[in-house]
Amino acid sequence: MSHIGEWLSERVPVSGAQLEELTNEPVPYHLKRWWFCLGGTPAYLFVVQIITGILLAFYYQPSAATAYDSIAYITEQANYGWFIRSMHKWAATFMIAAVILHQMRVYFTGAYRRPREINWLIGMCLLMCTLLVGFTGYSLAFEQLSYWGATVAANISDAVPVAGRFAKQMLLGGDSYNERTLSRFYILHAAVLPTTMILLIAVHITFIRLHGVTEFRTEDESDDAPRHFNFFPEHLLTELTIGLVLMIMLSAISTIFPVMMGPKADPLTTPEVIKPEWWFYVSFRWLKLFSLSFAVLSTGFIVGAMFLWPWIDGALRKITGKEEVSVYIGIVATLLLVGLTVWEAVVTH
Amino acid sequence: MSLRAKQIIIAILGFIFLLSLVFVQWVEVTRKQEEAGLTAHHIAVPIKSRQCVECHEKSSPGIIDHWKGSTHAVKGVGCVECHKAEADDVDAFTHYGHTIATIVTPRDCGHCHQNEHKEFERSHHAKAGNILASLDNRLAEVVEGFREDVKDEQGSIIETLTRFNPHSPTPGMAIETVNGNASVDVGCKQCHGSKVSLEGTDGSLISVDQLKPDATGKPTNMDAVALVKHDASGRPVLSASSWPNTGIGRLNLDGSLGSCSACHSRHDFSPRRARQPENCGKCHLGPDHPQKEIYEESKHGVAFRDLKEHMHLDSKDWVLGRDYTQAPTCASCHMSANTLNGEKITHDPGERLSWTNRPPVSTVMDTDINGKIVTETDPAKRRQMVTSTWQDKRQNMQQVCLHCHTQNYINSFYKQYDDFVVNYNEKFAKPGEAIMAALTKNELISKAQFDDEIEWTWFYLWHHEGRRARHGASMMAPDYAHWHGMYEVAERFYQELIPQAREIAEHATAAGKGEAAQAALAVIDEILARPEHKWYEKNKIKFTGEHAAVHEGIAEDLKQAQAAANDAAPPADATNDKPVEAADDATPPAAKDAEKPAEDAADGNSDASAATPPEGERQAANNPLRVDDVVNR
Amino acid sequence: MAGGLAAGYGTLGVMAIRFLHASDGDAMGWQFLCRTEELTIGESLPYTTPSGAKVVIARQSDGDTASDFIALSSVCPHLGCAVHWESQNDRFFCPCHNGAFDPQGNATEGPPAAAKQQLTRFPLQVEDGLLFILVPLQAVLGEGMQVAAVTKPLHHDRSEEMEA
Repeated sequence: MSHIGEWLSERVPVSGAQLEELTNEPVPYHLKRWWFCLGGTPAYLFVVQIITGILLAFYYQPSAATAYDSIAYITEQANYGWFIRSMHKWAATFMIAAVILHQMRVYFTGAYRRPREINWLIGMCLLMCTLLVGFTGYSLAFEQLSYWGATVAANISDAVPVAGRFAKQMLLGGDSYNERTLSRFYILHAAVLPTTMILLIAVHITFIRLHGVTEFRTEDESDDAPRHFNFFPEHLLTELTIGLVLMIMLSAISTIFPVMMGPKADPLTTPEVIKPEWWFYVSFRWLKLFSLSFAVLSTGFIVGAMFLWPWIDGALRKITGKEEVSVYIGIVATLLLVGLTVWEAVVTH
Repeated sequence: MSLRAKQIIIAILGFIFLLSLVFVQWVEVTRKQEEAGLTAHHIAVPIKSRQCVECHEKSSPGIIDHWKGSTHAVKGVGCVECHKAEADDVDAFTHYGHTIATIVTPRDCGHCHQNEHKEFERSHHAKAGNILASLDNRLAEVVEGFREDVKDEQGSIIETLTRFNPHSPTPGMAIETVNGNASVDVGCKQCHGSKVSLEGTDGSLISVDQLKPDATGKPTNMDAVALVKHDASGRPVLSASSWPNTGIGRLNLDGSLGSCSACHSRHDFSPRRARQPENCGKCHLGPDHPQKEIYEESKHGVAFRDLKEHMHLDSKDWVLGRDYTQAPTCASCHMSANTLNGEKITHDPGERLSWTNRPPVSTVMDTDINGKIVTETDPAKRRQMVTSTWQDKRQNMQQVCLHCHTQNYINSFYKQYDDFVVNYNEKFAKPGEAIMAALTKNELISKAQFDDEIEWTWFYLWHHEGRRARHGASMMAPDYAHWHGMYEVAERFYQELIPQAREIAEHATAAGKGEAAQAALAVIDEILARPEHKWYEKNKIKFTGEHAAVHEGIAEDLKQAQAAANDAAPPADATNDKPVEAADDATPPAAKDAEKPAEDAADGNSDASAATPPEGERQAANNPLRVDDVVNR
Repeated sequence: MAGGLAAGYGTLGVMAIRFLHASDGDAMGWQFLCRTEELTIGESLPYTTPSGAKVVIARQSDGDTASDFIALSSVCPHLGCAVHWESQNDRFFCPCHNGAFDPQGNATEGPPAAAKQQLTRFPLQVEDGLLFILVPLQAVLGEGMQVAAVTKPLHHDRSEEMEA
């Protein structure tokens, strides 16, 4: 045993103590509260997505002729295929929800403020990537709704001034959905976006480590309570617990509500009722409320504002002199978000 | 939360995760099991048939597609396995290096499906091809088409003509002669089965009759084999009059009976299809035996239409009580397996029938060792001959019924059904038969069938209306039992059969055959004097004298003939009126005598002397029945 | 804790492997051979599997069960050449490296004997007096083989969806 240990330490000159120091960042005490652990959730789900995604890629064939049938094979014939596919789909839903919740926590606790503005920017990029990955993945199924969803999305992009048309052509590989489109979605979904996200997550976590996690004291804590606890093993166990709960939920939901095959894409007939995935309900309803160009421009404006929020927030605080102004804006925005989503969900058109 | 507590929680959560995955596993296993019979059948063309498939996929893709969907394809049974033949088979030919035959017979299928073949050969279905000389066949051959036996002076047939000349041209089509068998080929034989024939070089037809195949199906008459005509490619020429044909009682060249594809359509041999009523409906429908329509009217058929998709028609064994219970189809009751009969399928539908409602008078299904219905009336002899009683068969059917109904319910249903059949038999069928026999015996109508109006009347009565009524009762279709059935039987009997029989007698009397007419009228009067018929003429306003002469529209010339006859014979009035009056008052002694033995015979207890006269009558009455006995219905 | 984790994630890992291990990429099927009584002792039945492999089926004893028959692959376990039956020597012989096998498929001479190899046996099954063999069907779509995956009911569903 000791021989192997020696052999190893000679070639990998890292001692256990070093490793522990490297990983064992002191964790602020407030992270004992579950609510503050949401940041780890999307990361965990991201790993689930990578694993199930790689599994699905063994069978998926990205072309208009074969995409639907290969998914049908996964769903109907391959061992546990329906389960792996349902996991992938439900984990995507969970992941988007987790990202939004994580962002709301960061927002309402003001954790984006100086000196962490850049990490907020990276987080925003991750949000965009997550939405894009969700969209491209949904389109890969080549079902009626996903086909028409992609068509609608591409035409929305067309309405963006200046770069819109170019973006659409880049996305579709032509002016309209064609036989080259699916492979583009696929390479974005399975290679470009995940790699980008891995890099962004790495930077995101590095920044957290460099700045340290924002520290809070809640009122019911006594002043002499410990300010930190160890990442290893305490916090790791917390994350593991969350991970297991997620897995249990995922496998249960995937089994009870497995993903079925919808009708195959038909470029000649648009379905009567067409809806995107739920996380696009807001923008879908927004599009129906206003003219196309206004909706696109205003959406662009809102997204831009979200990116620049740490600075806007700073400016607002200076002007109004109030600390909580962002909280009020946040509440209004959240209500708007929920309101529009529910509205879109309950009506057919 | 302490570290220890967290570790325990993680351990517990891990096992809950495992449990949720066990749930996943369970769903996966049930899914695979459910789909096992339905999906993912990988098929591979057996090497021996690969050449056939490659070519026929282009030339006749339909049969290849069907085959690919068959269980045969899954189990590696290709084209050659079924179509292969040996060089000494009369219909064998060489086709791209394989010796094959076009027609696959039950003997070929029975190579693997031995039990099914045995059961089928025993069934009435297999005998459906023996319709040559039957009433139905005479209809199609002579009445609807053309057939004439040319006889020599001794009366033996030297030639049978079946073609006649057209009487005016058909523009655009050159027609030399008309095939008088056309209706038989297309109508009768497609259900009953043809006698498969090869064309001979001398113009004759070579069938199983000439080939005289041995027990293995090889022809023994080599002269007949030598006569077979071959086309340019060396293929024996099948007579178009006998093939294409998948009639259920086909008489094949190898001596085997029937055609499996009558029900198990080639080339997918779908069990699913054979289990559905539409399959039987190719033949079991129409005015004379509307079993399919009767089924559709019944609650059974209604339930099937509604619940069809829940009935697991694709399952392997399709056992009633295990795979489905929603509704029965034809197959469920008459052929398929159920949980109470040891899950045994039969290919002899007769195994579960207690009555045969095919002949004019229904008889119970006591069968002998060959599966033939025993007609012996002597109880002791009968007991010896019967190997399977109608009660046995009813027992078999009740095992099916019991999956949904109580024994009490079933018993009462059978009581209703038995009473219905007996009422038909006794009130209309046996009397009708007796009247027809009396007319034939006394030479008031010819022995030839369908040349007298009353023969059509009687045929309608039992062959169409009588069967509709009985089948309607047997399968719970009230409208067929009554309005399409007994109502029309009664109307036919009272409004047509009786008046026509009387009219024949009147004509005969007028033509000087008074004695024969009297004998026939006595039979009619005896029947009408029975309690169940008494109502008919009891209160009827009777006409005498001149009125009687114009009754039923007797023609003017007949009246004159009658007047002439009056000089020589006793007054016509007396002849006509006497029985009617007698029937009204009391049963005359003569009629009473006739009634008694008839009853005895019905009971099956009559002693020899008493039974003699009615038996003679019976024989005569049985004549049309005898001929028709071979009809498979 | 380790047990719990191993149970949960371990099972998921097994499922993933089962998923990747294609359920029907190398589909096997029971294929019909002949009626059992058609094969007597001393006779052999040559059979070619749909994937092209040659198999010899022979009767070993009287009876009507699968164990009364033997189905041997004609592929030599040494380097994959085709063996043939030498009736005068009562053995299968491989011409490539002089390998020989007895009627039960056990190697008696040559390199296969040195390695104590056997000819591959195929599973047999008797159902209602009919002999079936379990062979690979090589149901890969295309490949110029007349092989197709027929999914009966799904076939219908799919076509309906295409029409929709």
